[in-house]
Amino acid sequence: MAKRITIDPITRIEGHLRIDVEVENNAVSNAWASCTMWRGIEKILRGRDPRDAWLFTQRFCGVCTTVHAMASVRSVEDALKLEIPLNAQYIRNLILIAHALHDHIVHFYQLSALDWVDVLQIPKADPAATSKLAESLSPWTRNSRNELKAAQDRVNAVASSGQLGIFANGYWGHPAMRLSPEVNLLAFSHYVQALEYQRKALQVVGILGSKTPHIQNLNVGGVANAIDLDSPSALGMSQLEMIRTLLEEVVQFVQHVYFVDVCAVAAMYPEWFKIGSGVRNYLAVPDLPLDSRGSAYDLPGGYIRDGNLAGVKGFQTASDPIFRQSVSEDVMHAYYQGDKALHPWAGETEPAFTGWDGEQKYSWVKAPRFNGEPMQVGPLAQVLIGYAQGHPLTRKYTDMAIEKIAAIGGPRATPAALHSTLGRHAARAIRACMLAELAQKHLELLVENISKGDYTVHNHSVLPTHEVEGVGTHEAPRGTLSHWIVIKDQKIKNYQAVVPSTWNASPRDRAGAHGPYEASLLHTPLARPEEPLEVLRTVHSFDPCMACACHAFDPSGRKIGVAKIL
Amino acid sequence: MKRALIGGIGNVLLGDDGVGPYVVRLLESLYTFAEGVEVADLGTPALDLTHQIVGLHALILVDSVASDGCPGTVVLYRKEDILRVMPAERLDPHSPALSECMMTAEMLGASPEHVLLVGIVGSCYEPGQPLSEAVRQSVGRAIDAILAELARLGFDSQKKLSPNAPGIWWVGDPASDSPSLI
Repeated sequence: MAKRITIDPITRIEGHLRIDVEVENNAVSNAWASCTMWRGIEKILRGRDPRDAWLFTQRFCGVCTTVHAMASVRSVEDALKLEIPLNAQYIRNLILIAHALHDHIVHFYQLSALDWVDVLQIPKADPAATSKLAESLSPWTRNSRNELKAAQDRVNAVASSGQLGIFANGYWGHPAMRLSPEVNLLAFSHYVQALEYQRKALQVVGILGSKTPHIQNLNVGGVANAIDLDSPSALGMSQLEMIRTLLEEVVQFVQHVYFVDVCAVAAMYPEWFKIGSGVRNYLAVPDLPLDSRGSAYDLPGGYIRDGNLAGVKGFQTASDPIFRQSVSEDVMHAYYQGDKALHPWAGETEPAFTGWDGEQKYSWVKAPRFNGEPMQVGPLAQVLIGYAQGHPLTRKYTDMAIEKIAAIGGPRATPAALHSTLGRHAARAIRACMLAELAQKHLELLVENISKGDYTVHNHSVLPTHEVEGVGTHEAPRGTLSHWIVIKDQKIKNYQAVVPSTWNASPRDRAGAHGPYEASLLHTPLARPEEPLEVLRTVHSFDPCMACACHAFDPSGRKIGVAKIL
Repeated sequence: MKRALIGGIGNVLLGDDGVGPYVVRLLESLYTFAEGVEVADLGTPALDLTHQIVGLHALILVDSVASDGCPGTVVLYRKEDILRVMPAERLDPHSPALSECMMTAEMLGASPEHVLLVGIVGSCYEPGQPLSEAVRQSVGRAIDAILAELARLGFDSQKKLSPNAPGIWWVGDPASDSPSLI
């Protein structure tokens, strides 16, 4: 008899992820991913000036403010066929890269590392032995005995207080935790350092965007940064130097710490290269444009079907005609009216809540499909699509990861092993290394272009009175993001955001095909079904985020989420 | 110099959840503050809130709260109330919320000495809706609570002779050019 386990962390009024799995013979036999709150925010945009839309869309979500702002201005620019000045492209690219580096670091250390690292083993570690081990793995200078001892003391202080505080909700001592006390300590010390370096990445966003969490420097047609090499308040040499220094530190952390730690976890949990594959259709859009027309990009896009890397198809542009034509959203199992799969420009968002029913409707997330098929999006999709197309930067860091994992004593992985839970983590670290290198490249491109005397940051545009359609895409930290806009009489007639987590967290469609989270959980072995750590490992590997944040703090804490066995 | 942050938290697109940003933007249009006091609309921060709060002497947050009280009730919480909330299962990046950020700051040994959460019980969280009447009427009381806390901690605040227009850009009908605050 199958047992059903629900993981539903309800702590505040917020759209969040709920996972239900059925377990038979200590393995997952069926799975459902759902979002528990209505995302009807797009309706607010109807009737507004398209040039203001980005201010609203960047409030969709508190984690991904920047990406929604960017996709929104790009959707209007696509509709108006606008070219973007080079300086604006580079400034935007730097913001997007810095945001992504911040996001990837936070994801690995703060949101998923503790699935693999057992905090309660740390007091047993020997800091001197840990430091020696660290030296053999990486040239990072902050792996000294003293630094590691300080991290251990933090854990000891929390543990001896009798309350675990921030660590109160982990599966400590779980049989699926297998790292030595020293490796646990090393990873935890980097968990603490990660807080510092992701902040530095965010400071780059703040300098260029005037402010975080909500950047102020965008506009349709470019950016609003004033470039003046000699003025301290405008974007000039002093700010560019500050950005260079911050990026250097973040790049070091990504290459010598994050990348190495992911390879070490992969080497020590090799069975997770065989778990968590699921949907092997992948989708990514090109990003980081290199010219004003958007005809060349530093990150490649395209799609792969059924894991067939040799059959990869590339996209030429960020709003490639194949992409524009092939996306639809199915609501068969989502709480919306209608029974047709609709293209986003014709999309409707009329709620029809029924309550959770795994056979019928069970999620507020629609099921986006590409040519009718579910697609996995995110760093893994982008890395596989780039690798399959022979993209040099993708190959460089993928091959480096394969070598590093083997050097630490793990298996010699092939790109095919990347279809897995660990593959998603590895791909995110590979992408972070690529972005780290590209951050420095785009900063040099910006400096070089300004040095030529080009201070242009904005191209003027006029809204047409006839109806126009546009799609703005961004290959965001969690994958392909697309904002779809219809403009009529200079106002927004329709607006739909198809966000990465909608692709990955999608419910079943009319054909019964599982979404990527659901498919990836099937057959996962569980050591202790009442503590479904293995389910969390796979779900976390996608970097889930239900982009519909509505936070209202619940001080009673009465609705704390737990794994509930039905 | 001792630093204080007055932060508004909430999603401005979702009715009463936007009351935090609303209050701080109104506050900064009406008052000037002593050096070291920062006022910020923080939106719906997740773990990034940690960076905003580490090393502060005083933290004052305004947020909508889910509580049994009537809509519009202003409820004050202190650090120990916030630390009492168990961290959530880490499913997505929104999970590290206020209590998790405070616990992280505690672990780093850098959490603010004084913490006040000015909670306003909300009633309507529908997209695109203005503040509900009950919550709008609580805005003045929330501002009084913030000013009293600043005074208690020795930070000066002064009412401006001619207030600036508050930057509450999200309020108002898309068809009208002049948003109304009420």
